[in-house]
Amino acid sequence: MKRVLLSVLMLCMAMAAYAGEPPVSVSDARMRWLPGDLPMAGYFVITSHSKAPLRLVGAASPAFGDMMVHHSIEEAGVAHMVHVDGVDLNPRQTIEFAPGGYHLMLMDRTRDLHPGEEVPVTLRFGDGQTLVVRFRVTGVQSE
Amino acid sequence: MLLVGLLVACGHSTTPWGLRDISGLMPSLDFTLTAASDGAKVQGKDFRGKVVLLYFGYTHCPDVCPTTLSLLSRAVKALGTNAEQVRILFVSVDPARDTLAQLKTYAAAFGPEVVGLSGSEAELKALTKRYRVSYGYGKPDSSGAYEVSHSSAVYVFDREGKTRLLIGPTDSVPIITGDLQRLLSETPDARS
Repeated sequence: MKRVLLSVLMLCMAMAAYAGEPPVSVSDARMRWLPGDLPMAGYFVITSHSKAPLRLVGAASPAFGDMMVHHSIEEAGVAHMVHVDGVDLNPRQTIEFAPGGYHLMLMDRTRDLHPGEEVPVTLRFGDGQTLVVRFRVTGVQSE
Repeated sequence: MLLVGLLVACGHSTTPWGLRDISGLMPSLDFTLTAASDGAKVQGKDFRGKVVLLYFGYTHCPDVCPTTLSLLSRAVKALGTNAEQVRILFVSVDPARDTLAQLKTYAAAFGPEVVGLSGSEAELKALTKRYRVSYGYGKPDSSGAYEVSHSSAVYVFDREGKTRLLIGPTDSVPIITGDLQRLLSETPDARS
């Protein structure tokens, strides 16, 4: 419950969504479905069109109580996840949030989700601006 | 492709495997664990006659575990009717959170070829030591959630339970499917 309240608060605190042409574009936004309320991973490709550096600092969605930016790393054959405070996006840079690397960890589902549907996710940037992206829920077998 | 060509040109009589060949480097498949599907005790020898893929993970793993299971599952399904001859053993290294019911639902979501297995600490220790697999637990956050680090390797055993191949995160579905098909065709299906 605390997490849900915190997310709502974060949404309220977020300043206006980018007015006009957003300085970033996002493609292939998807989340791989898992059964029950197991944490899922969200993936996307983000490209900066900005001349200034940008920083992705967080994400929120009405379908989840909590979201974190995570990075999966493999060291000496051992896989583990680290929480990151943000991901820097240099001018014109494209970063792929992909399996085995950067991903959004999506926790505490607020409702049932089904493969095929779309879920809105608000990406939050260091300058306080936000961008709403629709994520497709993909099947458990998806890449 | 170039490598395959060179090896053939050099006169190697056996075609190299697409995956890493670890024949003889690990002991044969042996363990005692609990099957999530029905709560029954199962042993490594129960899977003789099948080609077995052994992987360690946990269900509260949003990225690496489902990515690996998805890869393995697609590779096995690509075998068509031969998929029945292969089992993907998903051993939970997080028995505190992975109840049998949860592990059962999780394994079933990927398909009938995925077998969810759980074990006592002693059973897990014996198995992970046998295959030099490491795992560990991160510090719980304010809500009690914690991260589990685990070996990313997938071991492939032939129908006799001998360790043969190693699947890594960069291996593709066609490479895996090709090698599984080859393993299936090399020993007669006498026992299943």
